Amino acid sequence: MRFRFFQILACSVFLLVLALPTSEASAQQETVHIVSPSGPYTSLSAALEAAKPGDRIEVHGGVYDGPLLVDKSVELIGIDWPVIDGNSSGTVVMLGAPNTVFSGFVISNSGASLDEENSGIAGEAPNLVIENNRLEETLFGIYLREAEGSIIRGNYIQSKDLDLARRGDPIRVWYSDNVLIEANEVKKGRDVVLWYSEHLTVKDNTITGGRYGLHFMYCDDATITDNLLAYNSVGTFMMYSRRLQLIHNTIAYNHGPSGFGIGLKDMDDALVKDNLFLANRVGAHLDNSPREVDSLGTYEGNVFAYNDIGVNLMPSVRHNQFSSNSFLENQEHVDIGGGGMTKDNQWTVGEIGNFWSDYAGYDQAGDGIGDEEYSADRLFENLTSRHPILRLFIFSPSSQAVDFAAKAVPFVRPQPKLTDSQPLMAPVFPEQLPSLPEESNPLFVWISAGLVILASTAFLRGGGRLTKRVKNHPPSPGHPEVGIMPLIQIRNLTKRFKGTTVVDRLSLDIESGQAVALWGPNGAGKTTTLRCLIGLLPFDGQITVNDTDVRKQGKLVRKQVGFVPQELAFHDDLTVQETVHFYARLKGEASLQDQQFESILARVDLSGHEKKLVRELSGGLKQRLALAVALLADPIILVLDEPTSNLDVHARDDFLDLLLELKTSGMTFIFSSHRLEEIATLADRVLLLKNGKIIADCPPEELSDQTGWNVTLRVLLQKKDLKQALNTLSQHGFVASPNGKGIRVKVTPGHKGRPIRVLSEAGIQVEDFEIEQLNGS
Amino acid sequence: MLDFNNIITITLKELQDARRNRWYLIYVLVFTGLSLALAWLGMTGLGDYGLAGFGRTAASIINIVLLVVPLMGLTLGAISLAGERERSTLLYLLAQPVTQLEVLLGKYIGLAIALFSALVLGFGISGILITLQGGSAEINIYLLMVLLAFMLALVCLSIGFLISSMVRKGSTAVSIALFTWLLLLVFGDLGLMGTSIVLNLGVDQLFTLTLLNPMQIFKIAAILNIRGSLEVLGPAGIYALRTYGPQLLPGLVAVLAAWTLVPMSLAYFSFRRTGAL
Repeated sequence: MRFRFFQILACSVFLLVLALPTSEASAQQETVHIVSPSGPYTSLSAALEAAKPGDRIEVHGGVYDGPLLVDKSVELIGIDWPVIDGNSSGTVVMLGAPNTVFSGFVISNSGASLDEENSGIAGEAPNLVIENNRLEETLFGIYLREAEGSIIRGNYIQSKDLDLARRGDPIRVWYSDNVLIEANEVKKGRDVVLWYSEHLTVKDNTITGGRYGLHFMYCDDATITDNLLAYNSVGTFMMYSRRLQLIHNTIAYNHGPSGFGIGLKDMDDALVKDNLFLANRVGAHLDNSPREVDSLGTYEGNVFAYNDIGVNLMPSVRHNQFSSNSFLENQEHVDIGGGGMTKDNQWTVGEIGNFWSDYAGYDQAGDGIGDEEYSADRLFENLTSRHPILRLFIFSPSSQAVDFAAKAVPFVRPQPKLTDSQPLMAPVFPEQLPSLPEESNPLFVWISAGLVILASTAFLRGGGRLTKRVKNHPPSPGHPEVGIMPLIQIRNLTKRFKGTTVVDRLSLDIESGQAVALWGPNGAGKTTTLRCLIGLLPFDGQITVNDTDVRKQGKLVRKQVGFVPQELAFHDDLTVQETVHFYARLKGEASLQDQQFESILARVDLSGHEKKLVRELSGGLKQRLALAVALLADPIILVLDEPTSNLDVHARDDFLDLLLELKTSGMTFIFSSHRLEEIATLADRVLLLKNGKIIADCPPEELSDQTGWNVTLRVLLQKKDLKQALNTLSQHGFVASPNGKGIRVKVTPGHKGRPIRVLSEAGIQVEDFEIEQLNGS
Repeated sequence: MLDFNNIITITLKELQDARRNRWYLIYVLVFTGLSLALAWLGMTGLGDYGLAGFGRTAASIINIVLLVVPLMGLTLGAISLAGERERSTLLYLLAQPVTQLEVLLGKYIGLAIALFSALVLGFGISGILITLQGGSAEINIYLLMVLLAFMLALVCLSIGFLISSMVRKGSTAVSIALFTWLLLLVFGDLGLMGTSIVLNLGVDQLFTLTLLNPMQIFKIAAILNIRGSLEVLGPAGIYALRTYGPQLLPGLVAVLAAWTLVPMSLAYFSFRRTGAL
């Protein structure tokens, strides 16, 4: 009897010891087993075999083969990161006894079978503590089945690098109430799955790069706080659960075709509070939540910032209250599937509304609440709700134009989808949210700075180098051998502008050293002929210059021709020096030396004007500059279009002197003019053009004979001298007639001064004279 | 046959002109100012929450680029030949030993460099500001963004040159350029929106039609670059990425390149025909 009593007592004590592993009694009896590659135990299974429940097994650094079945309630503590290697088959560690503590291990290489749910650590007993482990290359990470009251804390879990569809879940909790999941770091898994488990606590975890950060089903009374859920497809998807508390989490950058920060389906009485929803496709997606008629969804103090859509409500959603939330710069703050209004959802609760970054009202009272209601009535959003395809135009000014039009024209303004009668004037940010990983890159600032420097260099120095030397062009073709063939050959040159024939089958040869004038009224085709000659205009017929076909090798021709246009069109903002250098480079005189430059200017009497802007030059000086440019690169032909038409008398004479000098040096000229004195001075040969045809080709002296035209000089004299003057002139063979105060005398071009001389020699004082308009021109 | 010395000479001249061009300076100021303002606005208040960064600002930068860069390219391109033609300086230039292609290329390259400087200045300064404020950025995304904006500038410059090659007066050319700008910016899209609603266009049809507008191409490419996806653009965006996958971005860049080359070739032929007059 007494023995039996002791037997029962001993049994009770033993059971008590078993039931209270952390009590003082067990601490006193706990045995520590050491496993390390050098012993005493070299394998985990051997140590486990020897251990009694409640013992502590310390495993030192080294690699140990899995799989490992822990079927005793022991503490397995890794020191210096011992590795348990599953050798790519099956589950690596199975915890089958309650109250087991498993901490400090590296678990690697589970099998890859989704059907068998190969895991890093599988727990199938209550009150497990799985802490501070690193799981690498495992399919599923930590898998709890019916393990209520367990703790998963401080683990680092990175799944096998597989396609999303072939990955396993980094954490899965199945039929296990009161589980704490805390401070784990989960990367690139599929979903953290929490199913059929009540009173879960999920806090301080970082879950990134997966499909569903958290995936709830049938988990009533869960608390989710202070987690960072980022870069997943969905931050957390919660279904069929009651009384969820989602508080103070950062939910950011969750993207994908159906990406949500959080998604709620059939969730009753959820409280979503003080979270940051940042840059998700959709911040919060509400589908049939709440489900029951008498339940409520509460959203307060959250920040929805930079999401494509802040809150997305499916058509039937109602009974949600939104207050103190801050909607900041979302592409669309609130979207209602299928369009329409957010019926039976409240955007002002009590006297508190939300902050809307596009609210344009004011706060006269200074109480932090806008005086006008906020109303979301953007037409473009209305369009995209009904025609989601039009979202393609988001970010386009056209979408803003649509909204602007709706604002300006009230009758196309849609019904507001929501109104908030007490909008907040300033956003409210929850304090100390879980922060996103730092991505700052010091290189960035340097690259930015590099770009700025690049821009400034191009900007400040670009073009400041017009005078810079570049490689020399090949030398231009030499002067032609005189007499073999005409220097310029024009055959059947025809040019039409819009049906009008301006030059008509014109043929012409010009020998080297000749000075040829094109003479004729305006519209005779002089300028057009000259422009065709240097290939400025397309034409019919053939022109060769120094044996070069103008149409085929216009550039080569222009290299040998200096051109002075009628209308002097320089770039006004260049100096004389810059202008000369610019054209010198185009003509292949890249390395124009200062000396050469000076001699060019001196040749046309432009010295001293080097630094002047072209627009400051007088007409005469501009003409000289044009000649200087034309003379660059030693042309063999000068083409001048009305060279003196814009000059005053004095400048004209000087300029003609310059041209004469050039002529004496053997330059070939072709120029257009309607000034006879110019032709008489310069030309060896005059071509009279009319309607695009040459009607006369003669030396200038014969021009009057050829044409029957003459110049009339009107000489003004004192009245008393008139008679004597008439006599004198007649004696010298002039045809003269009185005309008012003066006398009209016919003169031949080139000899206009003779009557004046004759009169002077006869002692008659000439007061004034003028050349009258040419007959017939 | 092309003489690169001539091209370089004209390019440098064009750069110098740009530097003295009031409109160009205003564009540079506006673009830099707006980018800076955006970068700064993107930082204030939200910086402490890790909300700052180039990606944040980039969305607004897309808008600024869409507004300012095509305006720069189109007007500067449009005035380029037509303005000189009107002042007769083009005639004088073409009377020199240069070809029309050299003039065209020289001017194009000059203006392209000028536009590139403007872009790089705007992006560079805002980049510095973002970084100094503790924002973040991925360098390749940032640089690709600059490149895409530059390509858009080149496209618009080409269209501007095409306008310029066909018109005799600078003012006419600028008017047409402004009209083109509005067309590409707003009216084209509005028309497409209307068409899409009335004809009930499919995603593929709408997406393909959108590629007719270089601004939209830039926009889609820029969003794809910044976000790595097009889901913000709704079904059409998702369709595009699903259909073309990783080829989408290079494809869009290729379409932009075509948008540069085709108008420029047309501009050359038109210029050959009209010449200096």
